[in-house]
Amino acid sequence: MDIEKKHFTCVTCPVGCEVDVEVQDGSILSITGNKCDKVKEFVLQELKEPMRVLTTTVRIEGAKWAMLPVRTDKPIPKRLFLQAIEELASIDLQAPVPISEVILRDIAGSGANIVATRTMNPRGETGLPR
Amino acid sequence: MQADVAVIGSGPAGLVAAIEAYRSGAKNVLLLEREEELGGILKQCIHNGFGLEQFKKDYTGPEYAERLIEDLGKTGVRCFLNTMVTGISADRTVTAVNSENGVFRIEAKSIVLAMGCRERARGSIGIPGTRPAGVLTAGTAQRLVNIEGYLPGKEVVILGSGDIGLIMARRLTLEGAQVKGVYEIMNYPGGLKRNIVQCLNDFDIPLYLSHTVTEIQGRERVEGVIVSKVDKKMQPIGGSEKFIQCDTLLLSVGLIPENELSKGAGVELSRTTNGPVTSETMETSVPGIFSCGNVSTVFDLVDYVAQTGMSAGRNAARFAIGDWKENGVSVEVIPGENVRVVFPQRYCFRDDLILYIRPAKPVERPVTLGVSPVEMHIKRLYARPNEMIRVKVAREKLVKVTGPIEVSIRER
Repeated sequence: MDIEKKHFTCVTCPVGCEVDVEVQDGSILSITGNKCDKVKEFVLQELKEPMRVLTTTVRIEGAKWAMLPVRTDKPIPKRLFLQAIEELASIDLQAPVPISEVILRDIAGSGANIVATRTMNPRGETGLPR
Repeated sequence: MQADVAVIGSGPAGLVAAIEAYRSGAKNVLLLEREEELGGILKQCIHNGFGLEQFKKDYTGPEYAERLIEDLGKTGVRCFLNTMVTGISADRTVTAVNSENGVFRIEAKSIVLAMGCRERARGSIGIPGTRPAGVLTAGTAQRLVNIEGYLPGKEVVILGSGDIGLIMARRLTLEGAQVKGVYEIMNYPGGLKRNIVQCLNDFDIPLYLSHTVTEIQGRERVEGVIVSKVDKKMQPIGGSEKFIQCDTLLLSVGLIPENELSKGAGVELSRTTNGPVTSETMETSVPGIFSCGNVSTVFDLVDYVAQTGMSAGRNAARFAIGDWKENGVSVEVIPGENVRVVFPQRYCFRDDLILYIRPAKPVERPVTLGVSPVEMHIKRLYARPNEMIRVKVAREKLVKVTGPIEVSIRER
């Protein structure tokens, strides 16, 4: 296979090294521009399967607000994001929902669950701490 | 009504300040919030990256808020929701209004200002063109999408690369809009690097540095914008104009601390931060009035906001319960070479000095951050205006200082 040249910004830490990588058959031949060794692990994962936490919203009925914020409970492959969003578009949800409640299991076949990221009380209840 | 400490605003700064004031011995703490829920802007910041330092967790904004609200529930802090503060005075009287109490006054022993900031809008950057629907700030779009469930447009151009703009580029893309590009007038991005990568690069959204929007077109609705390259003095370059078709222009062009109330009490404001001039205790120029979070200066990270809230809450409680004597001595803290903002602006020899420093220009080479006259030299790999630097100087090191404390950033 040919040698591919790729560019990454490492987000392992705030420094954000801009690195140029030479890749052949999914393995790294060389990395330049990095200030530490952690970049290698980051680049390997990016080459294999970029993983991210998805945060989005789902529609909810009977609550003060139209949308309930949610997240995946662990990182999922980035390529599944749009499929996940589509699955969430058809969900029927009714307030109340407590924070951390599982809204949907195994989103887009990723093995991760979608969980609520806030408590959503029924319409009319105040947001005061109890 | 009487109070030991009255906290104005229940975003991250106000929540932390109220909790800390109570824990520090002030028993009659009031938290005043104009919205119907606590949490401020955190409620619409549904992305993760909150509380990495404070809680060692990667919370979303609403999760972070709820964690603080849970802590608040374990205190005796009294909350007033749907309550608008209309004025404060130098003698620490707060005037507020809500539908239950009408107009009422609170005589507070101390006050914590935690009103946060507002977004700069079209009027403050002066873009020529028509005035159609579809021009809105990134934060307004964030509220529409994340809380109210409306998509503000289908083809979007974003002006300014502040963090909220970057976050919204990703958010709108996920919700099915086409984000045509982010245009930044400076020659470096405004937001954090992790947001450039995870919000733009991940979705192949282009970022155009040294570009700005020079005209908005469309009568009823935005039909497109003209973008131009800018020169080193940030002036548009003739002949570089390009038409971009879009139905929405999002503005992410900076934040301004919200200090109308502070001005009413005669609190001195800083020309560099637009927030109150404060000391390391977060006390403003008016005795007993403290300020924290983005009303003081715009921070990048909620962890920093929370840290100033903690200091303001603790010291406001000390002031209220009489554990506070005026020592009267203070020195200025001033920005030196390549420093645009240094916060706080005064040091009064009470606590350790935690400095928040915003570099004036990016330096992608090793730098030394110097604090004079205490001979502190901190080595860093780079300095960037979009990443505030925090440095702690212990009180013991400062006791003999008599003149101003100056912070500078120099290339090594």
